Amino acid sequence: MQPMAETAALAYSRRFFFLYDSSKVQEEGDLTRDGIYYFSPEDTPVDQQELLCGQLAGVCRCVSEMSSSPVRLLRLRKSKYAVRMKDSFIWALSCVVDIPDVSLCDLLDQLIALFCFYNGPVRQSYQLYSKEDLALRWARYLCHLQGGSTELHNIFSCLRTIDSTHIDPLLLLKAALILQACQRCPLVLAGCILYRGRVVSTQMTPALTMKVMVYETQMYSQDFRVTANGLSSSVCSLSSFTATTQVFLTPSELYVLRCHPVERAYRSQCSQPPCQPSKSRLLSRTLSDTPTTDTDSSGLDLMQCPPASYQTLPSSPRSSLSDEPYFSPSPSRVNTPLHSNLMNQSEYFTPDSHDHSISNGTNLCAVKESLAGLNIKQDTDASSGSETKSEGVNSDQDIQSDEIKALANGYEQSNSLDNHLDHDNQIENEENKLDANNHVMCKNGKFQGETEEEARTKSKQVEGRLEEKYEPTNTPSPHETLGDTSLVPSVLYQHRVRGLVLALLVEPEFHTDPSAREEVHHSSMASLNGLEAHLRNTLPGTPGPPGPYTFAHYDCIQNTLTTNVCGHSAGPQEAFVRATKLLHSHFSHLDTLQEAIVRNGSSAVYGTRSTAQETYFLQRGTPVRNSGSPDPQDSAFSLPRKARQRLLKHGVNLL
Amino acid sequence: MKCLLVANESAEVLFYWTDTEFEQRVQGQYGVSQEEGERLPAFEDSINTLFAPIIISCSTMVDRLGENYTSFSTENNHIYVLHQFEECLYIAVNGDGDETEEDLKRKIFVMKKLTEIMFGMVTLSGSLLRKELRPQDTEQRNRLWKKLRSLLETYSRLRENDQSFLVEAVERLIHPTLCEQCIEFLERRLVQQINSNMDRMGEEVLHAFILVHTKLLAFYSSRNASNLYSSDLLALIILVQDLYPSKINLDDTSEELESSSVPEAFYTPEPSPPERESVRQRSDSPPVFQFVDPDVQMAEDSLQTLEAPIPDPSAPYRVFLEAKECPMPHSMYCLPLWPGITLVLLTKIPNSHVATSVCYFLEAFVKLEKRLCEGHEGAAAMRGQPSVQEQRSRLEKLIKTWAGMDIQTSQLQNAWTDFKNKAFSRSGSGFTRDLLPSCRNMKTQLCGVYRQFFAADCMGSQRLAPHLQERALSMVQEKLMDWKDFLLVKSKRNITMVSYLEEFPGLIHFIYVDRSNGQMIAPSLNVTDRTVSELGKGPLADFVKKKVWSLVATAQRYLQKGYATVTLRDGDYFYCYFLWFENETGYKLEVIDIPSSPDDSAPVGMLTCDYYRKLLRYYSKKHQNDVVKCYELFTVHLGVIPNEYILQHCSQLARKLWEPTRIPLL
Repeated sequence: MQPMAETAALAYSRRFFFLYDSSKVQEEGDLTRDGIYYFSPEDTPVDQQELLCGQLAGVCRCVSEMSSSPVRLLRLRKSKYAVRMKDSFIWALSCVVDIPDVSLCDLLDQLIALFCFYNGPVRQSYQLYSKEDLALRWARYLCHLQGGSTELHNIFSCLRTIDSTHIDPLLLLKAALILQACQRCPLVLAGCILYRGRVVSTQMTPALTMKVMVYETQMYSQDFRVTANGLSSSVCSLSSFTATTQVFLTPSELYVLRCHPVERAYRSQCSQPPCQPSKSRLLSRTLSDTPTTDTDSSGLDLMQCPPASYQTLPSSPRSSLSDEPYFSPSPSRVNTPLHSNLMNQSEYFTPDSHDHSISNGTNLCAVKESLAGLNIKQDTDASSGSETKSEGVNSDQDIQSDEIKALANGYEQSNSLDNHLDHDNQIENEENKLDANNHVMCKNGKFQGETEEEARTKSKQVEGRLEEKYEPTNTPSPHETLGDTSLVPSVLYQHRVRGLVLALLVEPEFHTDPSAREEVHHSSMASLNGLEAHLRNTLPGTPGPPGPYTFAHYDCIQNTLTTNVCGHSAGPQEAFVRATKLLHSHFSHLDTLQEAIVRNGSSAVYGTRSTAQETYFLQRGTPVRNSGSPDPQDSAFSLPRKARQRLLKHGVNLL
Repeated sequence: MKCLLVANESAEVLFYWTDTEFEQRVQGQYGVSQEEGERLPAFEDSINTLFAPIIISCSTMVDRLGENYTSFSTENNHIYVLHQFEECLYIAVNGDGDETEEDLKRKIFVMKKLTEIMFGMVTLSGSLLRKELRPQDTEQRNRLWKKLRSLLETYSRLRENDQSFLVEAVERLIHPTLCEQCIEFLERRLVQQINSNMDRMGEEVLHAFILVHTKLLAFYSSRNASNLYSSDLLALIILVQDLYPSKINLDDTSEELESSSVPEAFYTPEPSPPERESVRQRSDSPPVFQFVDPDVQMAEDSLQTLEAPIPDPSAPYRVFLEAKECPMPHSMYCLPLWPGITLVLLTKIPNSHVATSVCYFLEAFVKLEKRLCEGHEGAAAMRGQPSVQEQRSRLEKLIKTWAGMDIQTSQLQNAWTDFKNKAFSRSGSGFTRDLLPSCRNMKTQLCGVYRQFFAADCMGSQRLAPHLQERALSMVQEKLMDWKDFLLVKSKRNITMVSYLEEFPGLIHFIYVDRSNGQMIAPSLNVTDRTVSELGKGPLADFVKKKVWSLVATAQRYLQKGYATVTLRDGDYFYCYFLWFENETGYKLEVIDIPSSPDDSAPVGMLTCDYYRKLLRYYSKKHQNDVVKCYELFTVHLGVIPNEYILQHCSQLARKLWEPTRIPLL
């Protein structure tokens, strides 16, 4: 009895995760430990690992045979496990019982998806790499996913974003524009910009952004440095370098990334009428696009009065302050600050073939050839403006540190570009412009062809996906992630400038196309330096005094959380978190549920949700004496009104 | 696709119930041959094989980690819920989406409650319970399992259709005058007469009540009776419903009324009136007029509601009811007055005091076992109990008395000698871990004695004389003759929403529960009734019903986590749930923080492990000067009604409904 109780106490205060392959344990003599691919925490005694894996895997197999369906959730008295079963593999992730089921299951799916993103199909990766290598990676991914700053972050498994309320909205705009500029290279699918492990701007779906962020979050949340990944070297003390990593995308992720073909076609062409893109958007619309309509129309107002509600995470090119104002400059707007800013930015995104060929001697000829027709454009706009200059200054300051750093990694792109190139950009030949356009047109044509074909084959799949029950966290469908065959290799390109990282998902050809790399590098370098300098100077903002209330606002589309709950929850905060867990779980089970008030003896929490958001609110202060009997005067029922008033200043609109 | 099974630690299935779909699935998977006669054992084997790995894994987890599974769910939404009671593992499965995890857990607890009602303290000993649940004799086993299965199905039917089983509180027929008259009648005439009759064979009527379908018309407890808890009353209603099912799922009201209103002649012959439903139950019953309409008989056969014939119709049921000290054996007499209306008598049986003393020592041994397991030895093992010597001599005396009675006590005596030798003699081990086996053996033997005294199949011919039962039946029939039709209609439309609509526009439904006495009031929801209710027929009423059922489930889930007030806006509806405490005069007491219970605790309700009784006890600790009452209100409103009106409604409704519950029950 005693030892039993002890092991139990030991075992269940921790969170377990394991990957087990039952095909390795089939005969009598086979050891259970041979089937254990990874077990976390790694210091768990082997016999206990064997016990858990053996029992859980066995019982799951038995149940799934009886129901002819894999087990999804397994509950024990003091803990519970989210389970995924595929072929002979079983993944299981445990937590204490009061975490909502949905959160736990999402977490496991994300974890598996993350592993597949960097390592490809599971079986294959275990053939290529040793268990020890992969164990380090599992540990890192686990750490990444559980690294939310509060318990709430883990419950909603949301992205960590920079605090937009303390940041000049212009910087967000700038980040979005950098990303757009990068996309002008047809090999670039989508990108995001991170600062100190937090998202500044992204064009990817939240799920993808989450994957891309792994190394960043780690560095800034844990101060945890591991360079185990053979394909990339992500952590380094250098202030600026670029790296490429092989990654694997699911077909649907890839489809979403490629599904703005028309917009891409116009990327470098100002002459096209803007009506067509907007039409195509509807055709290629994905769930993540849906709610951005509002954001988009208000995007312009952003400049005049920075609204508190503006989200920092445009989830698609369209919402990242779409090309619209740029490509269809209405005469009345040409001189608005926004417009001029856009125009100014564009020059930085243009790579300079000339300088590049000099610095990269060996490739000179090839590069010259390929770049001859590249998009080279001189922006002669006289109002190149103060913005440009200030950036230039910052860049200059950074030059010293931006040195060539060749890392051991084979894929590492040595970077010898100096920031003064940006200034040289100003001297460009106008006549190249036409050629450039042609070239891009051609490329896009080819691209469009591909996507159309793909669209045809995928159309059914996507229809199905859209009809599927709406999943707020954008979790990839499990079969896609678990499927060994369906993953498509792709490349993740990262450009780091101190705390700032530009991460781009690019087509595999990007590797072999130095011109594209140069183009992207050049176009973003200076702007990144500038952005980094600005962010460094503005952060961290001091949080305002917390009001007499606690709230959490979860954006299901962008997968972000705004809350004034701080790290350690105690007292009313704990009550708030507890109620939020229950309500979130309830909301996720019942689609029609719109709002709820729950009250126990000491606290009342109001929760409301729409398709795009979930908001929770608790009014602090001395609880008014009440009996709990139905009473219209009861203060709990005034919560919705209070929430509407109070949260406005946090940019949460509940009307 | 549903299944429930009970297994012991050696992975032996003690009982199982499956619906046909599950059976087919299993047979499909295992390709069980469908040969006549051989089918049943083969199916049982495949059930055994199917669940064995899960059962074995469960005990491994318990042994090695002190953990146990509580549920599995699969991607196609099959749910498996597991719960361990002592040595028995209960597993409930659902694969058709009809039941949630919580429903399955509740079903398991109800199954446990039913075994407690049927076997009493025998459930404390795993080996004896195994014998009870799985008799060696195949025929006996089939009969018992059939009974248990039918009880489970009856419960599921009630849970699905009856609001009183939804909230697990007894619903009373709202007719104060009649109710009062009946109580008086039960007290002054019926119970008094029986208890003063010489032919009662030493039994004494403690409780008597009249049920109209599942609703309570009148309830009387004699002065020296202990309290009948709501959980027991609800379980007894399941038993009665199982014997005389109300055909909830059929459009039967009018038919029933027609037939019963036809000939007065039916009631003229002595000893009792004809009964279509009771006839088939008790076809050889002497007090019942032998009227078997062949058509009716056939129709009902085809409905498969036929019960196994009860060997002796005047034989009571042995039920074990909760009392302060231990589960007390009672005899239950179900006397069908008319179809749908039943008189129930609960009597105290001779020797029932033995139960108290057996129970006392059982508890002592359970405590001792626990302390020995925890590693306490010597005097520490007996801490918290009266002096060892005193207990020892008491038990000696008892065993001698029992030996003089008509039961087998040799095994108990052997066990006791063995225990004494080990515990008290010098050569023995004293109070150490080595005493555990003897201690367990004593437990089993005490349970065995209890069983011999009280188990159903040991009852022999102990009962109220048949003519006394007949007399009781006819007396009440006479009394209620004029009310019969009214009562049957009233039970379907106890109170109706119509009478509330004007005062509470926008209110769709409500349920008001007084948890202190376990009673509820709610407008009738006649989903299948031929008559059009104010909700309209069929689909609409069914829709509202679904909403109400989900509201109660939701509210109970929040209550389990400590939330006593919940409002929800769901689609076009607005739901409210309130739980509050009052003192006797109706003064509303302050809210307290209700402790949140873990997920694997007993379900919120009264039928099993009475949650509300514990809640009241918890609250009373903080209000020791008051008699604390606990109330609940569930409401469903149209979502378009402004919140402040809805809350006003709720508060007015609570005030309005407060009155009827004041009607004295006794």
